Amino acid sequence: MSSSLTCAKLTILTITGVTIQIIGLSLFVYGFFPVKPALSGVSGAESFRPPTCTPLHNQTDSDLPPHNLKSLYKELSGIAPFDRLVLMVIDGLPAEFVLGKDDKPPPKALMDAMPYTQSLLANGMAIGYHAKAAPPTVTMPRLKAMVSGAIGGFLDVAFNFNTQALLDDNLLGQFLKIGWKMVMFGDETWLKLFPGLFTRHDGVGSFFVKDTVQVDQNVSRHLGDELSRDDWDLMVLHYLGLDHVGHIGGRNSILMAPKLLEMDKVVKMIHTSVIAGQENGQGQTLLVVVSDHGMTYNGNHGGSSFEETDSLALFIGLRNHVSDYALYTLNTVYQVDVAPTLALLFGVPIPKNNVGVLLSGTFGSFTDDQQLKALELNSWQLLRLLQAQLPGLSCENSPCDGFSDDQGCRINKCSGNIENTICCLYLKATMLHSSWRLKDVSSRPYSREDYSGIVAAYYEFLKTASEWLSRRVTDKPVNLLAFGVAAMMLSCLILLSLIFSFYKEVYNMKMQQCFDSKYSMHTWSLVETFVLGVILILVSLPVEASRSLFGLYKGNKKIAFQMCSIFVLIISGRTLRGWHQGGVNWTYLPDISKWLEKAGSNHVKSIQLVSGLLMISLCLFALSLSGSRRKISLAVGFSFLMFGLLVLQHIQKYQDNIFVSSNYNATLLVQIIFAGLGIATIGTFVAYPWLMPICISKICSSHHSFMSGSVPIEIQNEYPLLELKNSLYLIGWAYLFCWCLLQLLLQQPINALPMLLLFVQILASLIYASNGGVHHKQWVEIAALYYLGMAGHFALGNSNTLATIDVAGAFIGMSSYSTLLSGILMFIITYASPSFFLLSIVMYISVDTSYLVIPQKADSEHLLKNMLAFPCLVPLGVNSIILTAYTIVLLLMRNHLFVWSVFSPKYLYVCATTLCVYIGVSFVAATVIYSYLVLALRKRMQGFSSIDTR
Amino acid sequence: MSTNEKVSADADADVVCVQLMLGLVLPLPLTLFIAHNLYSINLLSHPSLTLSLISVIQCPIVLLLYGRLRKNRKHCSYLKAAGRGLLGLPIGALVNALGAIALGAPVGTQYFSQTLNWSLMMSLFTIVPAATVFGSSWKDWQRIFAHTKPMGSVDVIICLPAHGAIIGAWFGAWPMPLDWERPWQEWPICVSYGAMAGYLVAMVASFGYVAVRARMQHVKRE
Repeated sequence: MSSSLTCAKLTILTITGVTIQIIGLSLFVYGFFPVKPALSGVSGAESFRPPTCTPLHNQTDSDLPPHNLKSLYKELSGIAPFDRLVLMVIDGLPAEFVLGKDDKPPPKALMDAMPYTQSLLANGMAIGYHAKAAPPTVTMPRLKAMVSGAIGGFLDVAFNFNTQALLDDNLLGQFLKIGWKMVMFGDETWLKLFPGLFTRHDGVGSFFVKDTVQVDQNVSRHLGDELSRDDWDLMVLHYLGLDHVGHIGGRNSILMAPKLLEMDKVVKMIHTSVIAGQENGQGQTLLVVVSDHGMTYNGNHGGSSFEETDSLALFIGLRNHVSDYALYTLNTVYQVDVAPTLALLFGVPIPKNNVGVLLSGTFGSFTDDQQLKALELNSWQLLRLLQAQLPGLSCENSPCDGFSDDQGCRINKCSGNIENTICCLYLKATMLHSSWRLKDVSSRPYSREDYSGIVAAYYEFLKTASEWLSRRVTDKPVNLLAFGVAAMMLSCLILLSLIFSFYKEVYNMKMQQCFDSKYSMHTWSLVETFVLGVILILVSLPVEASRSLFGLYKGNKKIAFQMCSIFVLIISGRTLRGWHQGGVNWTYLPDISKWLEKAGSNHVKSIQLVSGLLMISLCLFALSLSGSRRKISLAVGFSFLMFGLLVLQHIQKYQDNIFVSSNYNATLLVQIIFAGLGIATIGTFVAYPWLMPICISKICSSHHSFMSGSVPIEIQNEYPLLELKNSLYLIGWAYLFCWCLLQLLLQQPINALPMLLLFVQILASLIYASNGGVHHKQWVEIAALYYLGMAGHFALGNSNTLATIDVAGAFIGMSSYSTLLSGILMFIITYASPSFFLLSIVMYISVDTSYLVIPQKADSEHLLKNMLAFPCLVPLGVNSIILTAYTIVLLLMRNHLFVWSVFSPKYLYVCATTLCVYIGVSFVAATVIYSYLVLALRKRMQGFSSIDTR
Repeated sequence: MSTNEKVSADADADVVCVQLMLGLVLPLPLTLFIAHNLYSINLLSHPSLTLSLISVIQCPIVLLLYGRLRKNRKHCSYLKAAGRGLLGLPIGALVNALGAIALGAPVGTQYFSQTLNWSLMMSLFTIVPAATVFGSSWKDWQRIFAHTKPMGSVDVIICLPAHGAIIGAWFGAWPMPLDWERPWQEWPICVSYGAMAGYLVAMVASFGYVAVRARMQHVKRE
């Protein structure tokens, strides 16, 4: 026996491969995903001077006391600013609801839901914009974008659940510098972004998604008091209720219209009490209603569809009366444009990293000079940012002071590379502006054409610069990326070569055995290779369905069982496929889940209960199959049954009722179930190998005919193979049952039946494997399990966009907000199916018999290696192929239009899948090794004691 | 085709195969051409109509040509072979339709005629030839479809095109979930294209195989 691959070597190589992969992945992620800012520091008085000039003034501006600074800004900008700002954020409100879509007003029902706001718009007292938000459309990055004007890095999503203080230059920081007093009521994300900034605040948690009433009452109850006070300059109101309504019931939820009416009442209250009364000029308050993102028809968000990015920016209280507001709603603007607009309206410097452009309609009430000044300030700020990004950009010809007339008419068309274009556009705008400035004041009213020419020139520059800045992701460090990809490829090679060499070894061993015992040789079947190859490529594409067909085996008596299980696999696979229509092309097609949801929540609930019951009884049936009717397994079964009943009770009592689900009793019950399941599972894992009986005599093994053929009797006596099988069966069963119950508790009600089907699939594959005899291909079955898990991932309604992640479920049973715990719950929900199938590998090892082809002189190492090599290596290897392939695809597509909205989310999913595989594989390995070691120890001790007694 | 009829029954099977191939490869593109120019329909505009046209033209050709290759000539007349081929058509269609649905083809009344016509065509590519030639000989079926071990030219020209059509259909289904928003991504258009392409390629491949084999035997005999 030429065993080139010892157990230690295999382990070390595997761990090396995985480590290299982790290093490569982290290097790649670090290099690929933009880590934001370009400019550090905070804008000060220098932002009111042209960027091309050397700073003439000393840097003591920022040391000025707030009041002086305020007047300095006012003097420098020459714009008479507003005094007070009410920033009302309505989380998840699509602009469509207020402004309509494609030149059409919103539907009648929505118009009626917001009567006051609609009347303001119709009277021209408000201007609304479709403010396109950048993906990812989740709250925190969008808030950052609105207050800093910068488009954040993609990985901000990852930090959305771990909010941290915003350190970059932003509006609120600027307001603080000029001595504003700020208050905030609503989403506590603001408090995390700006700790200690608000003089008064009342934060509400943004994560108890099922509560739609209390969150908003907690905000509105402060309004009456606050509106009567005048000690604040900025009031932030962040209403979460509408987003929660969306998460629960989608756009067309019955709760939507009342919620909109509630928001409308708030708008009315603020407008009548603060703004409407100030027509006489003293104290100018502006009400800005914005939403951080929109929502899909199902009420989710996170992606980049029009429905999700269509956020609102509504300015109420601008002193001009816009007659045709349709003019402004037509041209779509960007969400980041809110930042420079507010900065200029309130006379503070524009934040340094802003890429937004002044909203054109908001300055209607200012004089022409002031409007041009505002545009100039915005241009200067963008030019500074551009100069930081493009070191060669200087625009030297720009005049610092005064004006040189000779270049005025030279510039007509701008083309060439980006630096020249930007420079040229900038110069053109400034030239025109300077010549306008030189003109006689009295002649200005007659030269409207000149004026609009200047505005157009400024906007041309601003739009070009803004577009370039927001499209450009920071330079990717090529070395880092190359190294990361190389490392991932290397680890992929290591893992695959390990699989290959181990396969060769097993094959040789089997050949030997076959030669010895005259077994019929199982030849390589074409079907197997083909099926595996196709599945492999199929799943690695963004294809949502993968079926696994097993090769048709020529068995004898067990073939009926095998055929049945394949049949069950295919049927349940097809049902799962039809449960949630996945994929971009098919999302709108009817599927079973939509149909059931239409049928009403009662049906869904009864189906959930029935599938829960079926799941529990199937689990108990699987336990009874194990054959060991000892007290201890009965006890384990009983304890799990109790938790199963508790879960059913929770479903029966609390779930699906929107208003009571966050109450104390429900949370307590869920916590009890969590704790109990955890203790029971870990207890089974730790204690069962110690407690289970060990058979000493040869009689007990002779019952099992499958062993007698292939395993030498000495090995059976020396090593606890049979006991290991029994113990792994029970532990694997406990894992599966625990996972079933967890998912039943956490998943949406509609997903209960798919979970049952997934469980049926697992059982069918186990039956298939246990009837396979000695000569079936273990690695094919492991790969099939892995791919079934991936197919199930999509069957549970997941997709390749971040919007389908079930946020609501991640807070079941949480009494206080914890990033870590809810993150873990979210991971459990999203990766329910892959982890389910990975956990089932423990049970698979216990029913599988192919590794029992053991040479005469086997030792513990050898047994463990035979048992664990494929179950660990195959998922790791297959996953490494997928990971490497996606990394390369992402690298190739880095300039694609959809890189941030399509490819990057998918890549995040792939990274999370990798994590899931790591966890699952280490669970399997730990369980098998631990059980084996404990049982071997006990067997040896028993052997000693029996020798002693003899 | 007329030369085909004149070949005597005891002629070398390989020669029959070679001529048969010409009869099988040509009708498919010809049908598409006729459909497009005469009736101005194609797979894109009228998928089920075009598919049924293909089936109608393909069916007699397949039955007649494969009937010449039937096993057990003494016990089985030409007509009987064609008859069992015809019987195999609906059964094969059912098997293909179930397979397609299991692999994710859409279910619903609006897809019924497409799926039906597609599965009839697939049946003509896969099951009908085998039914015509082998009849109910389970051993031959198993050899071709379970073990993929064709022996001899007749097996090859049954096995290869059938597998080619299925594999082609599978690969044809690949672009369906991609967001290219092309009309041909609908079921069963690209799947049919894939199946036809796979069928034709496999036909040509088996043609090559038979030709090479015939030449080698010829050399050996000399």
